[in-house]
Amino acid sequence: MDEKKKGKGVSRRDFIKITGATGIAASMGTTFLFPERAASQQKTLKIIQWSHFVPAFDDWFYKSEKSFCKQWGQKHNTNVTVDFINLVDLPARAASEAQAQKGHDLFMFLSPPAAYEKQTLDMTNVYKEVEKKWGKKIDLAHKSTYNPKTKRYYAFSDSYAPDPGNYRKDLWAEAGFPNGPDSYDDLRTGAKKIKDKRGNPCGLGLSQELDTSMAMRALLWSFGGAEQDEAGHVTINSKNTIEALKYMKALYQESETPEVFTWTPPSNNQGMLAGKLSFVANAISITRQSEREHLPIDKDIMISKALRGPVRRIAAEHVMDCYVVWNFAENKEGAQRFLIDYVDSFHDGFVAGQFYNFPCFPKTVPNLQQEISNDKNANPANKYAVLGDVLTWATNVGYPGYCTAAIDQAFKSWVIPTMFATVAQGKASPEDAAKAAETEYKRIFERFK
Amino acid sequence: MKPAGDAETQAKKAPPLSSSLDKPGQLRPRWKKVKSAGAATSPLLGAAMFSPAALYILLLIAVPFFLAIFYAFSDARIGSTELHFIGLENFRSIIHSPSFQKAVTNSIIFTVVAQAIVLVCSNILSIALEKPFRGRGLLRFLILLPWVAPVSLGTIGWKWILDSIYSVITWVLVWLGFANKLDPPYWLGQEGLAMASVILVHCWRLIPFATVILLAGRTAIPKEIPEAASIDGAGFWRTQFQINLPIMTPILSVAVLFGSIFTFTDIAVVYILTNGGPYDSTQTLPMLAYTQGIQGSDLAAGAAVSVCLIPVLVIIAYFMLRMAHRAEVV
Repeated sequence: MDEKKKGKGVSRRDFIKITGATGIAASMGTTFLFPERAASQQKTLKIIQWSHFVPAFDDWFYKSEKSFCKQWGQKHNTNVTVDFINLVDLPARAASEAQAQKGHDLFMFLSPPAAYEKQTLDMTNVYKEVEKKWGKKIDLAHKSTYNPKTKRYYAFSDSYAPDPGNYRKDLWAEAGFPNGPDSYDDLRTGAKKIKDKRGNPCGLGLSQELDTSMAMRALLWSFGGAEQDEAGHVTINSKNTIEALKYMKALYQESETPEVFTWTPPSNNQGMLAGKLSFVANAISITRQSEREHLPIDKDIMISKALRGPVRRIAAEHVMDCYVVWNFAENKEGAQRFLIDYVDSFHDGFVAGQFYNFPCFPKTVPNLQQEISNDKNANPANKYAVLGDVLTWATNVGYPGYCTAAIDQAFKSWVIPTMFATVAQGKASPEDAAKAAETEYKRIFERFK
Repeated sequence: MKPAGDAETQAKKAPPLSSSLDKPGQLRPRWKKVKSAGAATSPLLGAAMFSPAALYILLLIAVPFFLAIFYAFSDARIGSTELHFIGLENFRSIIHSPSFQKAVTNSIIFTVVAQAIVLVCSNILSIALEKPFRGRGLLRFLILLPWVAPVSLGTIGWKWILDSIYSVITWVLVWLGFANKLDPPYWLGQEGLAMASVILVHCWRLIPFATVILLAGRTAIPKEIPEAASIDGAGFWRTQFQINLPIMTPILSVAVLFGSIFTFTDIAVVYILTNGGPYDSTQTLPMLAYTQGIQGSDLAAGAAVSVCLIPVLVIIAYFMLRMAHRAEVV
């Protein structure tokens, strides 16, 4: 056996020694032998964001050969990597990165991440730099990323997605509303007629998920209710809130089914595309999917602006792109530079994303109305024209105040969807549900004092 | 018994190792013997062998456990860089939350009901699978599958089966005429059905585990005892309830203990299936801890909710172990 070993020449121990030494030499070699080359080595920029509902955007952003990230990386001698994850996994991922103090350089949230302010860089300079070239940002971006108490921007928002109505033109025309519902009264009347006659339910969600959160906030604000006032005091338990709750209970009982309590974000998309629902509140992902897949139902699904309530016509943004640079990011300068340059290319992203993301710097898409009114993918081509005045009815989570850390926590704890759902199923009276929500809001707000 | 001095003398007399190398046939056994004796008595080696397990327990169980207790008495938030001791404030805060009250009730209901069903079904299965028959191996394999498969994957499968739009169960019921197409049952959208669905999935994944444990228990029962009972005129039910089950009490306790802990601390089933809805009606303590602590960024509140699991689990474990011990003594 020993002879055999001698014959082969290299023992396991020798092998490990040799390969180990070679590895170390290889990794250290560049630094010792070519210090100037080591100094100019590529930097890395790590980004994480959601898997976009319009896959073509991810292709333009990172996945294609000539993507924005790859071109930017070549220009700045930086290896850019992007991790795309499911939108529902973003909060847990952010929490783990913040706790570990390790992770990506740029983290994109889909709602204002006010709770993370102490972990993020102040983005005032990024906004200033971008505004020099593209003019002032919209108020929606300001209120979604600014803390008036600390006077700093904890995030940077390049874009938002509108949250319009999606309705079945054929069904609504038959019910006497050829242009779909314009107000909540129309919605209640028309949705009942459709369900009674055709069996298609209305699809305003009542689940613990993003789309429901936005739809219920729109309803609440349209009836004059709000979570807080401008100064940040809890105002959820109001007459207006109770009216909104009564409305939702009636709408649910007349025109919906219990499936709305089970939904996840894609559920209303699936229901609409399956031809089951008459109306949902959602971004334009439904129609984009029907166009992409050439579904026969595509021509029947139309877009409407936010519904008018007794007090105002208003809706939340559907998602708000909020980029943060962690305090512990390894490439802070690169991350900030990336955002500034990204806004320069925003128009390309707007087109690639098939108008899903609207600009927070309107000058980046100067002809927005014309572009969305003549969309070659849409059937009819002017399907998205109603979104032209979106800024007159879209607002931020926390309206009429700012999106603070307390509002952020209440948003992610599903207080509003739970309040509406409890009333809709008759488990609590509107008064009791509003009071319970007030208790929960006050509890949360107290923790941030 | 030889005096110690003799051993030393013999060791001195023993040929040196190098000389024994020259004798073929004696080399390997002697070398191995010397080496293993040294290893067994070396305290350093023992510590080195033990340290991975100790480190695992320390880093992945003890540290998070004590950290959760520490956070529960602090104002820790995910985005915050500071930490202050605030006493029982978190507990006072969560106790007033309707979601917490619902979560406590649901956690107990899910655990008790699921365990009752699991015990009955696994007993029936273990009786059926005890005696050999054709295809028993395949059947055992199929029954064990839900336990072997990752719980998240299995639950996603159930979510599709119970989906509000594409539910295959609803489709079959409508096809058979047991449900109305325009007003079908919404398995995850109606309070009672949603709770039943969560319990069903818990049972589905725990029955195989309990069955395997009970099968092992049944095979350990000496054949003479049921045979003697049979000769004395005991029928099937009497044999099961008055002979087999009492003998199996310790092993039943183990199945119930583990099943209860798995159900009580589970987050995957509720998270995937209902996310705590509709309107908190399937909310459980682990799910609420996640919602408040991770999604809602209130780490301290989440930790306080999870700490509330501890006394319940300790009580369950105490009673189960006591029951098992008593049964053994008897």
